[in-house]
Amino acid sequence: MTRHGRKPDVTTLSVWQVIELARHPERPYSLDYIRRLAPDFIELHGDRLSADDPALVGGIGTWHGRTTMFLGHQKGRSLQERVARNWGMMHPEGYRKAIRLAHHAAKFRFPIVSLIDTPGAYPGAGAEERGIAAAIAEAIMEWFRIPVPIVAAVIGEGGSGGALGMGVADRVIMLENSIYSVASPEAAASIVWRDNTRKVEAAEQLQLTSRDLLAMGVVEEVVPEPKGSAHAAYDTAAAALDEALNRHMQALLQQPTEELLQHRYERFRYIDSLVHAEPQFGPKV
Amino acid sequence: MSALAKPATELRIAGSKLPAIPLPTNCPGCGVALDPETLRKHNYVCGDCGHHFRIGADAWIALIADRGSWQERWGDLRSHDLLNWKVPKPYQEVVEKLLEDGLNEAVRTGTCTLADRPIWLAAFDFRFVGGTLSIVAGERLARGMEQAASSGIPYVLVSASGGARMQEGVLALMQLAKVNAAVGRLHAAGVPYFSVLTDPTFGGTAASLALLGDVNIAEPGAAIGFTGPRVIKQATYADLPPGFQSAEFQLAHGQVDLVHPRTELRRLLAHLLEMYP
Repeated sequence: MTRHGRKPDVTTLSVWQVIELARHPERPYSLDYIRRLAPDFIELHGDRLSADDPALVGGIGTWHGRTTMFLGHQKGRSLQERVARNWGMMHPEGYRKAIRLAHHAAKFRFPIVSLIDTPGAYPGAGAEERGIAAAIAEAIMEWFRIPVPIVAAVIGEGGSGGALGMGVADRVIMLENSIYSVASPEAAASIVWRDNTRKVEAAEQLQLTSRDLLAMGVVEEVVPEPKGSAHAAYDTAAAALDEALNRHMQALLQQPTEELLQHRYERFRYIDSLVHAEPQFGPKV
Repeated sequence: MSALAKPATELRIAGSKLPAIPLPTNCPGCGVALDPETLRKHNYVCGDCGHHFRIGADAWIALIADRGSWQERWGDLRSHDLLNWKVPKPYQEVVEKLLEDGLNEAVRTGTCTLADRPIWLAAFDFRFVGGTLSIVAGERLARGMEQAASSGIPYVLVSASGGARMQEGVLALMQLAKVNAAVGRLHAAGVPYFSVLTDPTFGGTAASLALLGDVNIAEPGAAIGFTGPRVIKQATYADLPPGFQSAEFQLAHGQVDLVHPRTELRRLLAHLLEMYP
C-alpha cells in the first residue's frame, strides 16, 4: 500500500520500454510544461557567483493567480541545443543557481515548482574541479530550510544525486512514464558488473518506474499520461501535470511555515519507514 | 600554561590498540617492505613515505575513542534485501557473509570520549559493500546526529565510501536527503560537526554529509570526489591529470579545510573540541 492508499495500475510495458519513453527525444521537457502552466514565464539566469547553467532553467510565472518560482532541468531538442544544455546534466553552478532562486522565492513568499528531468549531474573533470559534490550536498541540505511550499515532479529521467539535488520537496510526484533511480541503469551496470552493456538487467533490478516508487512510498502520486505517452499530446500531459501540482500546492499553501518545514524534514527522515516496519530491519531505537 | 598546550602530552597515548588488518608485503607508496606490527603502532601510515592504508570502522573507533569509552548504538539494525536483488550475487547472501565475517554494516555509530570530552562518532567501513550508504547506514547516521543536536555533543564522522548502495535502489539515494536533513539539525543547534574524509570518499557520500562538516579534514592522498575517474573517462574521454581528486586537489579547489596526517588526527580533533566548546 502507498502513502495515499492508492494501488499502482497495471502496465503492459517492460521496464526498458518505460525507460525509452522517459528518454524519448520528443518527450516534453521542462520549458514545454512551464510555458503551458505559466504563459507569462520570465526566465531568470545565473548563480550570482560565476556562471549560468543552461541545464537548469529557472524563473517566475503566474500560476493559478499566484507568482510562482519554476525550476527545471532542461534537455535540448536539436543537437546544437542538446550540447548547449549539456543534455540536462547540471554543473555545480546549476545547483547554486537553484538555491539562489529558492532564496529569492522565499523572500517574496513565492511557492516553488521543481521539474526533474536529468540523467544525472555532469560526470566531467570541470564539474569535479568546481565542487559538484559539495554543491549537491549543500543544495540538498538547504532545501530543508526554504520556508515556502515546494512541489517537485519527475517528468522524465530522475537520475541519481543530480536529480535529488533538485528533488527535496514537500511533495514529490511522477509522470507515469518517468523513472527515478539511485543511478542510471548504465551506471548501475558499470558499478555492479563493470559492464555498462548489461543496462537492461540492471534496470529490471533497480525498481525505478513510477509505480515502483509509489509502492515504496518515495513519491506521493503518479500522474497518468495521455495515450501513447506524454510526447503524443503535450497539452493533455501538461494539463494533467498542472492539475496534480496545483492540488498538492493548494494543500501546502494552507500550512503554517513551521509545520511545513517539520513535515518536509519528516518526509525524508522517515521515507524508508515502510522498510522499518519489516521485522528483519530490527527494532526501532 | 594555556588550556590548549596542556593536553598535547596526554594525547600521545592513542585511544586503543588498533586491530590487525591485511597488508601487502610492500608499501604501494614507496615499495619498502612492511612490518605489520610496526605499521599498526604507526596507525597504518607508512613510516617511510606517509602512505595511508585503508582501515576499517573498528580501527577508526580504536584510534579516536578514549580507551574503554566506546558505546555502540543501534548495532542491531540489519539490512535486508528489499529489491530482491539477485545479480551478480544475491544481496541477502552478500550481507549475511559480511556479518559472519564480523563486519556490522557500512557505518557504525556510538558515543565515546576523546581526550575526556564526550563526542558522537560515526565511522564508515569500506569493507562492507564498499562502504556504501544504505538504509541502515543512513538510519544510524541520522539518529546519532539528531541526538547530538539535541544534547549539544559534537559530532565526528570518518568517511570511506563508494556512494549510495545500488542494491537498495532509490531508497539508498533518499539517504542523502535523510542524513543532510539531520546535518541541518546539527548546524541549526550550533553543534560542531567535524568530518574526516579518508580514501576513498565518492558519490552520494561526498554529495551529502561528508563535505558538510564545519571543518572538513582530509587524509593525505585520499581520493575524494563525486564521479569516479573510470566513469569520467568513459563519459568524457578526458585525460585526467595525476593527483586529480586527491585530498590535495580538493584542498586546492576549496572543498576541504585541511589535509592532515592520521598520526596527528587525534590531537587535531582534541584541539578542535577545545576550540569549539
